[in-house]
Amino acid sequence: MYTEFWPDFLSRLPFGIMVTLEILSITIPVSIGYGILLGSARVYGNAFIRLLAAGLVVTFRGFPLVVTLFLLFYGLPEMGVKLSPFWTAVTAFILCSGAYQSEYVRGAIRSLEVGQIEAARSLGMTRLQELIHIVLPQAIPRALPGISNEIIYQIKYSSLAYIVGVNEIFGITTSINSIYFRPIETFLTAAAIYLVMTTAAHFGFKALEGHMSIPGLEIEIR
Amino acid sequence: MADVVLKVEDIHKSYGKLEVLKGIFFELKRGETKVIAGPSGAGKSTLLRCINLLTKPDKGRVWLENVELTDPKVNINKLRARIGFVFQHFNLFMHLTAIENVMIGPIKVLKLPKEEARRRAEEALLRVHITEDLWNKYPAQLSGGQQQRVAIARALAMNPVIILYDEPTSALDPELVGEVLQVMKELATQKVTSLVVTHEIGFAISVADELMFMYGGKIIEKGPPREVVYNPKHEATKKFFANIARLYGKQGA
Repeated sequence: MYTEFWPDFLSRLPFGIMVTLEILSITIPVSIGYGILLGSARVYGNAFIRLLAAGLVVTFRGFPLVVTLFLLFYGLPEMGVKLSPFWTAVTAFILCSGAYQSEYVRGAIRSLEVGQIEAARSLGMTRLQELIHIVLPQAIPRALPGISNEIIYQIKYSSLAYIVGVNEIFGITTSINSIYFRPIETFLTAAAIYLVMTTAAHFGFKALEGHMSIPGLEIEIR
Repeated sequence: MADVVLKVEDIHKSYGKLEVLKGIFFELKRGETKVIAGPSGAGKSTLLRCINLLTKPDKGRVWLENVELTDPKVNINKLRARIGFVFQHFNLFMHLTAIENVMIGPIKVLKLPKEEARRRAEEALLRVHITEDLWNKYPAQLSGGQQQRVAIARALAMNPVIILYDEPTSALDPELVGEVLQVMKELATQKVTSLVVTHEIGFAISVADELMFMYGGKIIEKGPPREVVYNPKHEATKKFFANIARLYGKQGA
């Protein structure tokens, strides 16, 4: 039975969109949290924690994402850990994106005036209290433009999940294309969907930045 | 040492080859206000920072009410909570409102319930004449004088044993200096133990119990403020106060 291209494509696409959104709904918040933790650990950790955090950053920022995906998908089962394609993709995206994001967080922490940190210590705050109550609430808004950049990358490279067999937007698109061979229609449709998601993220983060700005410290540019 | 609140003994500090503090000794009794003056580079700020260990002295000891602060076994956070520190550049937490700046210490460090911390903060803010309309402003929305008064309230709300002031008015516009000095004078009169690094000789003369003059990493002269200012013994002290008088005019008591 020969099905029409468009009805077939459009009936299967929502499933792919759902899977992509499922992946991102986990990887976006978790990678941000992991990035903040990693960036904080690299400044506030003891020697061992700093080394461990730096190792994670250098490694997963240095590995090509495809290699990380294959290592987790084909390598981990050799060591007795078997992850589904979905969770392989989620894990790889978090490891990679978090490593990048942690650098924005670390830079933002470093950019804080030392005076406020001395004030926190003079009040008798512990290092952890200083980090949680004084440093991060100011560093995170400063890191936000960089973080939003990473999230936009993440939305796009979530398409790599197809390579370990996840049927997300790009996975569906390629399989449809291999049946009907209609590359222009299929890939332009996929591109448009990604464009909608990245644009939404752009505006979402812009609103968040506005929400997090500190009164009296906004710069007025005309 | 019945009512000695702060005792500083033989503090030394070097940065590389530069010896900034060359053996400082003094003590403060409860309720006293002492002023440290001296030329730039004399080591005044370093001395204050060595007292709450923001800077670690190379040698020497500091006691706060019979507890040795410089003892490596001591919990420095606990002791710092009892020493107020007021900075030249205010160093308010920029992401918190005025009242939140004052509340955060009592809540997070002293573990007071929020309502009690708020009561304390309100009381401290009123003591430094920060009225209710400013409580919910952020530091960047306040003038320098207001910011410094909030910073003093932040120190007061911890019920400190002593407040250290590190040139609290030198970053302020001239017309804002008065309001901060006024608050400091009131606190000194209310017997809040204070150690003040300042060039405001008028302040020293009107409220300080003693003026200590630092030069080249040592306290070279000390005594009643009037005595030290108008009748200095050392050449360096004479030169310094002559310069100050020329710059600021004669400052009345």
